[in-house]
Amino acid sequence: MSKELLLEANHIYKSFSGIPVLHDVHFDVRRGEVHALMGENGAGKSTLIKIITGIYTKDAGQISWEGKPVEINSYQDCLNLGISCIYQELSVIPPLTVAQNVYLRKEPLRAGLIDYNKMNSMTQQLIDLYDFPLKPTTLVEDLGMGQRQLVEILKGLSNDSKLLIMDEPTSSLSGKEAESLFGIICKLRDQGVSIIYISHRLEEVYRLSDRLTILRDGKNAAVLEKDEIIPKMVIETMIGKEMEEVDDSSKELRSDEGPVCLEVKSLTDSANRFRNISFQVRHGEILGIGGLIGAGRTEIVRAIYGVDKAASGEVLLDDERLDPNPALSISKGIGFVPEDRRKQGFIPLLSTVKNVALTNYDIIKRTGMAIDENDELELSKKAIEAIDIRPADPQKEVGTMSGGNQQKVVLGKWLVRGLKLLIVDEPTAGIDVGAKAEIYSILDQLASDGVAVIVVSSDLQELLRVSHRIIVMRKGGIVREFKDETVTQAKILAAMQGVEEGEKR
Amino acid sequence: MKRHIKQSTMRRLISLAMLLALIALFGVLGGMSFLSTGNFSEIFRNASVVAIVGVGVTYVIITSGIDLSTGSMMALVAMTMANIYAYTLLPIWSMILIGIAVGLVAGLVNGIIVAKLNVPEFIGTLATLGIFRALTYLIAITDANGVIQSQPLTVPEYTVLGGSIGAVFYVTVAMAIFVIAGEVVLKYTRFGTNLYAVGANKKSATLSGIDVPRTRMIAYVIVGFCVAVGSVFTTARLQSTTALLGSGFEFNPIAAAVIGGVSLAGGSGDIIGTLIGSVFMATLENGLLKLHMNTAFQYIIKGIVIVAVVIFDSLYRKRMDRIAKEHGAQAEEGVGA
Repeated sequence: MSKELLLEANHIYKSFSGIPVLHDVHFDVRRGEVHALMGENGAGKSTLIKIITGIYTKDAGQISWEGKPVEINSYQDCLNLGISCIYQELSVIPPLTVAQNVYLRKEPLRAGLIDYNKMNSMTQQLIDLYDFPLKPTTLVEDLGMGQRQLVEILKGLSNDSKLLIMDEPTSSLSGKEAESLFGIICKLRDQGVSIIYISHRLEEVYRLSDRLTILRDGKNAAVLEKDEIIPKMVIETMIGKEMEEVDDSSKELRSDEGPVCLEVKSLTDSANRFRNISFQVRHGEILGIGGLIGAGRTEIVRAIYGVDKAASGEVLLDDERLDPNPALSISKGIGFVPEDRRKQGFIPLLSTVKNVALTNYDIIKRTGMAIDENDELELSKKAIEAIDIRPADPQKEVGTMSGGNQQKVVLGKWLVRGLKLLIVDEPTAGIDVGAKAEIYSILDQLASDGVAVIVVSSDLQELLRVSHRIIVMRKGGIVREFKDETVTQAKILAAMQGVEEGEKR
Repeated sequence: MKRHIKQSTMRRLISLAMLLALIALFGVLGGMSFLSTGNFSEIFRNASVVAIVGVGVTYVIITSGIDLSTGSMMALVAMTMANIYAYTLLPIWSMILIGIAVGLVAGLVNGIIVAKLNVPEFIGTLATLGIFRALTYLIAITDANGVIQSQPLTVPEYTVLGGSIGAVFYVTVAMAIFVIAGEVVLKYTRFGTNLYAVGANKKSATLSGIDVPRTRMIAYVIVGFCVAVGSVFTTARLQSTTALLGSGFEFNPIAAAVIGGVSLAGGSGDIIGTLIGSVFMATLENGLLKLHMNTAFQYIIKGIVIVAVVIFDSLYRKRMDRIAKEHGAQAEEGVGA
């Protein structure tokens, strides 16, 4: 790897309506390196990237490309330089083929018409060059999320990009898909492509990056060379405070002795996404459910809560048989925080008050037919207090808050009612480290108050951190239960992948 | 390994099967009066204007838009031409050109309202449905008492367009040209690809550098062009026009597109599908007429067919998505095992 600078941004300033977001930030990328960019939500990462890609204009500062000063005023300018951005929300077009997506707006033409033969063979050449598991003529809608990401990368590479910006590229990938992405990132680096890698997943950053820039509160907190990257220090630099020693590699699991809260017996899905699932959760226990995407984890908790109907099997809450549907579940004391909070967890245009009230109208006072607005407000204040939403403005639209605060609102609306069971699906996806820690402590608190908690998560570290007991699902069935033993990430991963440790070569 | 049949191919086969089943049904019920060459040429004639307008409407629906103003627009074009015919000495070809210009402008108005001013498609074109019809009434030709007259358009150089070569009407020839050109533009030009991209995801399309407002606007202008051509053939056949021409027509191209597999959600479908849908609708109308079904019932049956197709499509899509998902999950897990 050369030390030659490809991109250099100096003294970057940016503020929105008077509030400084970036303050004298320096950031540079060398040719052929993976440069990670980290920071809590609101630290200024996305603003910096949007300035580099021409979506925002900087207030002050200088950007140089290959040693020459440049002005980047639009995304097109950035493409022309050779910078491509792979967004967290993919920008591929599902009804088009891989080749059509890669060459969108730059289709090879013959006599004014698109030359599909040429386009497909050009795409095939790119695919061969980087050895991607893709075919030019497959429709993108038939691909999994991981492959769609590869199409997006290919699209960037087809611009002869020298710099790829990847924003949370693994957020929607399974473990295996992420693995193959890491391989591809290394391969690209070896071919001289530079990569800016933005991620909340610390272990990915440690593994991949040659250098790491950490932003905090819109300022440079640190720029570290590979051998200077020490996990504990990175976290402390990001959050700007000492944190107690967290051992994330293994954990002693413990049994809970509380009475059984939820019992699931032989639950089977009509579409065969899970079958013959039986387990119990006790009061005061946090049960972690792990597994690859598509293993049936989300589907089973949705069936327990009653969003989807199971074909057969029983769900018992405190020994009472339920025929689950969401309204009944709520009234029986089951709370559910879905996987995709933006689509399913809250109503973005409504305030915290209304979002909290929505699932709690049964416990809000009424004057005749009308809702008692004071009681409604009181309830939301209770929620804000319980979960520490900042700023503590009950009237603020939830859609305008940060991801961490949004998730806290979603949790908060369940905390104001007497819960027996709380189900959370991927509770900290796309949330910064600080908010993560707070959400974990809320879950711990709930459990010690006697609530049974089910946590579905793809994040092994998270499963280890919160769970008292862990079950692992694979291809629609439970393959392993971890209790009363020392469990490590490796053991869970092996169970998820269907490889027992002994068989590993 | 089971061969994975493309969803769009499957949907095409289904709409073709529906059309054949319908023809078989009427063949059994109606016998030779339905199955004659003359009757099929009539069915195609009736399907033609719907399919011509359907080319533009399909473009708009692929971008996840809708155009409700085509019926009124058709009347406005026709009434403009009728005025030129009645009050000027301009030659017929320039009358037609002015009619087409009116269609293009009307389409552009829709495009500006929807794509530039960001009025929701449904509301924007519902408004122009009213406006175009009102303009038609304003320029309609009245008698001495102010009563609106049916305006004849009987010059032979014009009405010849309502005729046929053998069993094939000129309008059907025009339709064939529109459908082929429409399909080529859709599948083999950047503009066509952009239509799908815009319909599938406007944000992604923008990120890919597509001028989304411009693409949507052009689609509406194309509708205007198609409607104007449809209007010429319709009035040439009727040899007259009225202020009421084309009321309720807007339903037909939309229905044809939906029956042919163009998703109202945008991003999928093609012109061949809309052609099949147009022929299906024309066959249904013709068959019910041959069975001496009351016109009111015809509308009820058309309505039921549309609802049934939309329900079928949404169930079908759900099922296909689920199969695709399971397929994906298996593929993903199968690799390393």
